Amino acid sequence: MKPLSGIRIADFTVHNAGPFCTNLLSQLGAEVVKIESAMRPDAFRKPHPVYGRMGPATFDQVSSTKLSVRVNLKKPEGIALAKRIVRISDIAAESFRPGVIGRLGLGFEVLQKIRADIIMLSVSSCGQAGPDSHFAGYAPLFGAWGALSDLSGYPDGPPVEMRHVMDHTVGMNAAVAVMAALMRRRATGRGAHVDVAAREVASSLAGEALLLAAAGGAPTRMGNAQEGREPHNVYPAAGEDRWIAISARDDAERAVLANIIGRDLSDDAIAEWSITREADAAAAELQSAGIAAHASWTTPEIAADVHLRERRAIVEVQEPDGKTRAAVGVPMRLSKGAEIGIHSGTPKLGEHEDYIYGELLGMAFAERKALEDAEVIY
Amino acid sequence: MNEKSLPLNGVKIIAHAAGVGAAYAARLLSTLGADCILLEGPQGSPLRTEPPFLPESKVSALFAYLAAGMCSRVIDLARDDGRAELGALLSTSDIFIDDTPVAARAALGLDEAAIAARHPDLVHISVLPFGATGPKSGWKADDIQVLHASGEGYLLPNGLSVEMFPDRPPVKIHGHFAAMQGGIAAALGALAALWVRPKLGGQYVDISAQDATLAVGAFAVQRLGDGSVEHRVERSFRYGGVIPCADGYVELLTLEQRQWDGLVKLLGTPEWAQDSVLADQLERSRRGPAINAHIRAWASSRKVEDIVREGQKLFVPLAKYYTPAEVMNDPHEKFRGLFQPLAVDGAGVLGMLVSPFHFDGAPLVLRGGPPVLGEMKVPA
Repeated sequence: MKPLSGIRIADFTVHNAGPFCTNLLSQLGAEVVKIESAMRPDAFRKPHPVYGRMGPATFDQVSSTKLSVRVNLKKPEGIALAKRIVRISDIAAESFRPGVIGRLGLGFEVLQKIRADIIMLSVSSCGQAGPDSHFAGYAPLFGAWGALSDLSGYPDGPPVEMRHVMDHTVGMNAAVAVMAALMRRRATGRGAHVDVAAREVASSLAGEALLLAAAGGAPTRMGNAQEGREPHNVYPAAGEDRWIAISARDDAERAVLANIIGRDLSDDAIAEWSITREADAAAAELQSAGIAAHASWTTPEIAADVHLRERRAIVEVQEPDGKTRAAVGVPMRLSKGAEIGIHSGTPKLGEHEDYIYGELLGMAFAERKALEDAEVIY
Repeated sequence: MNEKSLPLNGVKIIAHAAGVGAAYAARLLSTLGADCILLEGPQGSPLRTEPPFLPESKVSALFAYLAAGMCSRVIDLARDDGRAELGALLSTSDIFIDDTPVAARAALGLDEAAIAARHPDLVHISVLPFGATGPKSGWKADDIQVLHASGEGYLLPNGLSVEMFPDRPPVKIHGHFAAMQGGIAAALGALAALWVRPKLGGQYVDISAQDATLAVGAFAVQRLGDGSVEHRVERSFRYGGVIPCADGYVELLTLEQRQWDGLVKLLGTPEWAQDSVLADQLERSRRGPAINAHIRAWASSRKVEDIVREGQKLFVPLAKYYTPAEVMNDPHEKFRGLFQPLAVDGAGVLGMLVSPFHFDGAPLVLRGGPPVLGEMKVPA
């Protein structure tokens, strides 16, 4: 069995951060019921011009391994239907702007009345309460608010925008918090309202710099430098736009590295050595001597990597048309139980209504048809 | 929230951490309420000597942040009696987190088989840069190597930074981002294994910071499957992004039509923005660079605070690029209790980041600052 077999999640989350949380939990065995409607489909079912994607994604990683039902939350009957799904769920997850889920009539207090031990996850940019809680935000804004972006970048340049890794970090953190809430429920019978603030996740990844600031220090952007490591940088390798990351942490490592380079360890000297070498070969040579080094990999190199495939961090998944493609697995290897990870791609809108509405909720065909005609199941 | 009501109250963890990933896993679980003992050798964890150091002190800010709320127990695993002492500790623990290199584990009695044989109900978490299995399991890495082994390294910087410096080497994310991803994945793996323990018993969980960093960067692999290879030079928002202002930077990102409408109002409804072709989202995307030139010209003479205040009123997603000091003093974070005053031995009382989670409307609470070497607190 998978770790979370038997856990069901009513998934109202949108965009990336919340959906990645429930995606991770689905890969660990939870049954995740993705709730959308034709009126408000998931962002990945639509073009995303600001990201430069002019059509829908053909395979959406954060929706994989989920079940799909249609619920029109704009209608009171849709809210009633959503409540029926929550009643048979352990967890309800949402990532609307704070206040929206309450105005829909699906706030925590309401859900508690439906199921006393419900665990509700709310993921938002700034948290459910506080003067900025109404602020809208996306990954780059989380990094900006949280100081992580201000600390990242060239010392003489602007801050660096955090991209999807920021969203997904929020999602993985949220999955930890939800698991903690499940453990408490097992021990005490209590449900929980878990509030995850994305900008605070960004701050938590720079906790040491914030402590430094609290003590009167002024941490700032350092490019590729890292205190306590010398050298520590990204150097050119042979070929167009090829790079290798090299670092050393003590005199013993520096002596080994200097011996390999055959010169002093200035950045210029290392670059003159590295630029004549193929990045992977140079990394392997340095690693065999006990020096931390790795080529700067492009996505195709990652997708093809033997190590990542052996660990099932990269897996093959199948498109509806039968073609296979690389996807990212759940980032852990468990010694016991059934294999975890992606077992199905993005579900079609409403694909699992026979199971959810028919089998689990026991709705008769006529009732479902009536709700479809009334654009509640829509 | 008091300590007894923390979600993982009663869970017992032993953490043997020389690196950030294993320590961060323990920190997350400890902050959620688990009792965590940091297992240290006679010289202390190497993290105690990792920079940065708090001003005018020898206190590692990194160690203080990672070990806050933990106890410290000194055990010499090179000695028979030390290993026996650890065995006794593990026999009463739920989770053991370890980042000893695989090749060094057997000699210390820390290998998977030995732990499983002696402690069948223990959740044993291994946290390493490239994991404990696979051809690269013995490879060494600092954060910069893990970032470049998992994709995000090659893709940064993007936006304004790469526009200004297109020929420079990629630049890393601040601090220990990749190792912390390993820590977050390890905390998730630990709780998943603990959840299923009544049915499966204890087990071994192999965590790789590379896998975890790749997981949070999954979209690059998704795009590859869609037929496009991302590159930092092209990975910019068509318009918006980092916008230089008169006194700093703001981040601007409008994904929805009403947000674009709000932005046009914020800009003063200029003539260029009323071009009918810009009503179409796809057309705006195509004309992104020209739109950005207008936005940048407008912002260059305005102050960050004014832009953010007026923009948020119009529901335009805008954020100031905060410095660490600004986050520390931010009214929103004060309201939410993101920082808790704690005694840090050798540095006084400081505001320590607690956690990005609230449970039942309240922030979590740290049990204390970082422990002095060998300091065992008696659980309350």
